Amino acid sequence: MRRGLWRVLLTGAVVVAAGMTAAVRVDTQTPTAPQVDPANPVFDDSYVHEVRVAINPKDWTALEVHYLDNTYYTCDVKTDGVNVRNSAIRSRGTGSRSGVKPGLRIDFDRNVTNQTYLGLKSYVLRNQTQDASNMHEILSMLFFRRMGLPASREAFTKLYINNVYAGLYTVVESVDKGFLEKHYGENDGHLYKYDYNADDKPYYYEFRDGNGDSYVPHPFKPETNESDPQSQTIADMIRIINQDGDNIFRTTIAPYIDLPKFVRHIAMEMFLGDNDGFDGNYGTNNFYWYRFEKKTLFQWIAWDKSNAFIDGPTYPIFHNINDQPPERVNRLTARVMGFADLKNLYLDTLLDFANAFVDATATPTPFPVGTLKPVSPAATPTPIPTPNPDDPRGWAEREIERQYALIKDAVYTDPTFNGTGNFKPADFEKEADNLRKFARERGAFVKAEVAKIRPTSSSSRTRRGARAFPAPAFPASSLAAASRVAAR
Amino acid sequence: MLIEAVLGAVWLSATTGATMAGRPDAAPQQATQQAPGKPSTGDKAQKPKKKKAKNPKPSPDEEVDETDAPPAEAPRTFRAEWKQHPSIRIGSFFRADFQAQFQEDIHASYAGASTLNKDFKTFDLHRNRVGIKGNFFKHVQYEVKRELTEKEVDATTQEKCAIDPTVKGCQIQSLWKDVYVNLTYLKRAQLQVGKFKVPFGLDQLTGVTHLDFVYRSLGAKQLAPARDIGAQLHGQLFKKSLEYAAGVFRHDGENAHSSKIAGGDLTGAGRVSVQPFRKSTVAGISALQFGAAAAISKLSDDSYRPNGLQGKTVMTGDTFYHPVFVKGRRHRWEGDVDWTAGRYSARSELTLVRDDRLQQGLIEDDLPDSRARSWYVSGTVVVTGEAKTRPIKPNGDLFQGGIGAIELAARYERLWFDSVGGTDVPTRANRAETILESGDKVLTLGVNWTVNRFVKLQFNGIREQIEDLGRNPVPKNTTGVFWSRVLRLQFVL
Repeated sequence: MRRGLWRVLLTGAVVVAAGMTAAVRVDTQTPTAPQVDPANPVFDDSYVHEVRVAINPKDWTALEVHYLDNTYYTCDVKTDGVNVRNSAIRSRGTGSRSGVKPGLRIDFDRNVTNQTYLGLKSYVLRNQTQDASNMHEILSMLFFRRMGLPASREAFTKLYINNVYAGLYTVVESVDKGFLEKHYGENDGHLYKYDYNADDKPYYYEFRDGNGDSYVPHPFKPETNESDPQSQTIADMIRIINQDGDNIFRTTIAPYIDLPKFVRHIAMEMFLGDNDGFDGNYGTNNFYWYRFEKKTLFQWIAWDKSNAFIDGPTYPIFHNINDQPPERVNRLTARVMGFADLKNLYLDTLLDFANAFVDATATPTPFPVGTLKPVSPAATPTPIPTPNPDDPRGWAEREIERQYALIKDAVYTDPTFNGTGNFKPADFEKEADNLRKFARERGAFVKAEVAKIRPTSSSSRTRRGARAFPAPAFPASSLAAASRVAAR
Repeated sequence: MLIEAVLGAVWLSATTGATMAGRPDAAPQQATQQAPGKPSTGDKAQKPKKKKAKNPKPSPDEEVDETDAPPAEAPRTFRAEWKQHPSIRIGSFFRADFQAQFQEDIHASYAGASTLNKDFKTFDLHRNRVGIKGNFFKHVQYEVKRELTEKEVDATTQEKCAIDPTVKGCQIQSLWKDVYVNLTYLKRAQLQVGKFKVPFGLDQLTGVTHLDFVYRSLGAKQLAPARDIGAQLHGQLFKKSLEYAAGVFRHDGENAHSSKIAGGDLTGAGRVSVQPFRKSTVAGISALQFGAAAAISKLSDDSYRPNGLQGKTVMTGDTFYHPVFVKGRRHRWEGDVDWTAGRYSARSELTLVRDDRLQQGLIEDDLPDSRARSWYVSGTVVVTGEAKTRPIKPNGDLFQGGIGAIELAARYERLWFDSVGGTDVPTRANRAETILESGDKVLTLGVNWTVNRFVKLQFNGIREQIEDLGRNPVPKNTTGVFWSRVLRLQFVL
């Protein structure tokens, strides 16, 4: 009887414990609402935002005159009606630096610890002085994100300096710790920005020497962990790219670079005809590099695509890869193209992008608008048209029309389009037309180019390795020779 | 390499000292003990040989009051001699002493300091100066001193000025240090014209080779003006119980300038120091000296960059307070006390600076004054028993039977910046109505080893605490506290 009682008690205890465990498990499994990024409204691209900067007039004049300086000036910044006091503003950019229409960076936390605007510590106001359409950058980044590649969110904004309209700008999400956290769920790794000076000799990832200081802080400028930039890791990687033979390269580079992801990055830039990107006309340029925490693995993050599209829809799909002497070809790209499977992947990726670019059934924008209403009553969202099944235009063409309609008035009244700058409204119209042409023709051109190289191939076949290229474009030996030429 | 250099310098000093001890013209120059008009002790032919003092040879960097020891009326013949310095003389008509000061450092600080601050290097040829000092006729003294290396000044300034000539005061920083003429016709009212130190700050006015620590106090380095071009009247009164100096200068000193900071303009400054108990027989009281100084400068906002003072850490030079926009006038005040007794010494100094900020708000409104304050307390003891002097004279030189003089030193100080009043939330903005207070508390512990009259080794351990953690230069440091170490080899000639 007593034994039976113990059995009952024991069984009861087990049941209760199991029930409690289950209850706890149920609690932890309860789906929580997806976290809404408080910064979403800043990059809601369905309307033209409004940024008003209050700044000492002497400071604004100084910023315009000394636009090559990175001096910060104090200002109050009112974005869509929300004022952030004691912010900091400075001129920024490389080729786009301008004293007429300065490219700007606004830091909310420089003067006040942890001060943010809707969770953002900073944002960039891109001046688009190299793009009369104002749409190259925003369209490129939109397509990067649409294809699942990390890129900043962007939206158009009218900028007012001391209540005087200064022009149409693009507000760009900074690539910073906040960006890293959102994309990778971590931010304590090493973030570098490729830091190119106008008078620098173009860099093609050639091996300088085994010393990390030859690569960091220039051209790879640390943006996080500045006191411990771990430059040796970069030197090691560059050495592998330049010196390891084909038989071991894929193995030795794997801890540093996810080659398929890298291929996707350069394919995207090539598809968009970006002549100032990783394989650009001026050496490598315009990217961030994130090295993950406790790993040597690097991830490319796109930056500054204002030079995309400008060479038209027939921008070669191997531009600066097979139409330049080896010493002027990026060593990493050359190595990658030397492997048939990776080259096939490159071509397949280009086809994927071509299809997505002209997809007539795609939604106009992937951005989740409407999570928060715009604060400024003046900024009314433009209704997003639903795709018309009878509309033959592809995603890109429709996106261009949407953005064109959105910014036309702001461009026409932009003072830099009316005398002070190097553009006129006619330039805007002309470049918008060029963009439309690109949107219409690029996909077909890329498909045709791929077909020329692989007339009988298909994505699935090549992925199975049924077809391979006869020989690497640039074997390791030619790379070494190119490095020697470059060093001379 | 550096060890070799250190040993080489020590060896050189030892051999030079030994050689000079045997030189016939190496007799003591007891200028300070001479009555005016009496013949120079350097001219052995004109007076009987004196009894040799315990340590008769003055250090090259020892202060000698030439106004009390006018040149002897010697024939106008050329002579070359080496007493305190290598020297050439033409009777009493002309004298030129060749001087040299070398200070080389080995540094270490927090991890990553050299990566974050490109100017911070482990080995640093810190200060290498050569100069000539002497007199024309009886009452015209002169000095010309130049820095050979650029550590002490921003050598790129001229280049930056060429690019950006709108930075006023760009020409102020120079490799030339003291370049002046001092007229001593009236001993109590001497007129000095040229480039020299603005009379402000006990620590700043102490010569670089006489410092008890490797680095001057933060207030002396960053609030006191230091050198500028101007003219001053100075002298001693009441049998040296009172010293004064008052002058007018073109700007407000090199400490307030940089390649990016224009600094103040026309400056008036004056300093008085008194020894009220000079004749007291109470032990330890007679050497008590009190000083005070004030300076006023005009401040413009012509430069497009902020023109206020900045705060930098002791050794790594990290900026813990960036300059703010200022305009109007800059007022400086300073008070100090200096005490020496036997082998002990102590010093303390308080400095206050206030800058007007007229029309410096975002809408060109006036802002409350910006303010900088500093103080320090320091003390030294010579453990080998020598009397505390600057420089210390060892009882026995190394390599000549002695060990030199060893001194322990400690200093605690604070430099901090804020604004006077303001109702806004304090921030770091350079046009903030209310400036967020930012400061650095520093404890310096040191050992000074005066090897002989030419060579001194100094070791300092420096603990800094940055008060505004938002400006803490040390990565991933949540306390703002970090240590630095420096070993300095000093060689004077």
